[in-house]
Amino acid sequence: MIANPIALIAEVTHRCPLGCVYCSNPLQLTRSKDELSTAEWQDVMAQSARLGVLHLHLTGGEPLARKDLEELVRFARSSGLYTNLITSGIGLSRRLKELVNAGLDHIQLSLQDAEEYSADLIAGAQAHQRKLQMGNRIRESGIAFTVNVVIHRQNIDHIDEIIALAESLGPQKLEIAHAQYYGWARKNALALLPSREQVRRSLETVEAARVRLEGKMRIDVVVPDYYARYPKACMGGWGRLQMVIDPSGRALPCHAAPIIPEMQFENIRERTLEWIWRESSSFRKFRGEEWMPQLCRSCERRQKDFGGCRCQAMLITGNPRATDPVCHFSPDHGLIEEFLARANGNAIHQSSESWTYRTLPHKARLGSRESNCY
Amino acid sequence: MSELAGTSRPCLAAGCRWTSGVERKTLVFPEGALRLRETAYAILDRCDGQRTVDEIIEQLRITYSAADPVTIKHDVIKFLGELHQKRLVDFR
Repeated sequence: MIANPIALIAEVTHRCPLGCVYCSNPLQLTRSKDELSTAEWQDVMAQSARLGVLHLHLTGGEPLARKDLEELVRFARSSGLYTNLITSGIGLSRRLKELVNAGLDHIQLSLQDAEEYSADLIAGAQAHQRKLQMGNRIRESGIAFTVNVVIHRQNIDHIDEIIALAESLGPQKLEIAHAQYYGWARKNALALLPSREQVRRSLETVEAARVRLEGKMRIDVVVPDYYARYPKACMGGWGRLQMVIDPSGRALPCHAAPIIPEMQFENIRERTLEWIWRESSSFRKFRGEEWMPQLCRSCERRQKDFGGCRCQAMLITGNPRATDPVCHFSPDHGLIEEFLARANGNAIHQSSESWTYRTLPHKARLGSRESNCY
Repeated sequence: MSELAGTSRPCLAAGCRWTSGVERKTLVFPEGALRLRETAYAILDRCDGQRTVDEIIEQLRITYSAADPVTIKHDVIKFLGELHQKRLVDFR
């Protein structure tokens, strides 16, 4: 018997006013005309609640790019789902009150850096000041919130300042999330990967702050897995706890799964959520231990990290069935070492001059850096 | 947010709530959910920001009259301390 999913990650749109260079969205972004309708999203939510899902994470892109977000939140809450909004905060000011009234449980607000110039450079948009204003408004509204900062070479040496800035906004939690190298982040990896020494120092800084701020602001850390000895438990295991629905309704076991060329994904326009979860070949493919290479199958950590990330194995080794090459036991681990050596060698030369901002297809054709969907 | 004392009035922290479904003994919060044992639920259900820790202990001593009152006090304080650390409970 397969256990039910506990969380649904709803990428309600890929539209976004920012163009963050570390974005883990796919390079092939969904256009707005292909997005699910209000009724279709509501149907997904109702189905997921019946299936036992507790948490709904509304993400994107920028979820606020959808005019029906309040309606979606109200519906989610009435279906019994714990509703979390993952947002840049841009466009939130005049909608915050309505969203809170609709029953929103939690907001995760992103910041890019501690200082305006650098933050806006990373986001590819003038956003930092507006985000800080939003942080204050969110705190005043009384809703629970987390500040999330994705960490990479361009901001890793400012961690102290980032923590102080987050503290001044007064969230319950700060999430220091090292970039995950998928999508746009992978494209820009040579400009983003920090050095081993930078990572070591940053983790020390965070640890000290965690002790200092205990009971005041909780600090969670997502570690940089290229520098780890063991892989991350991607999604808590393939088809084990969570489901991602992309803007067009495709159900994915992991955000990055479409990069695995041999895979077909079901769409909730054609199949029920329950069928996809239990029966679809995509969710069954890497579920459990059957698919594992001998190395993982005989490893005592297989129940902890589930063989790591299939998409990372695909990206780096070309084989989605391989042990995640981040694992130091992996026969392909040398590829990670090589990549790190290249990134470290590039540290001085590769900067913001040569990176690629995240853009929607039509924006890319116009060659625009600044994307604004309002 | 203050420290835990007998006069503290514990309440669920911002962002924590009971599931609205049939299964009311599940506490949901941003990072996850906790399905609580009967006794843990009995403690947390009384954390309404009105009752003090001492009052909660007193009520539980009446409800669980067969249990050792010293153990009850110890368990309540330990449990609330742990949930406070996890930022699931605040004190007024």
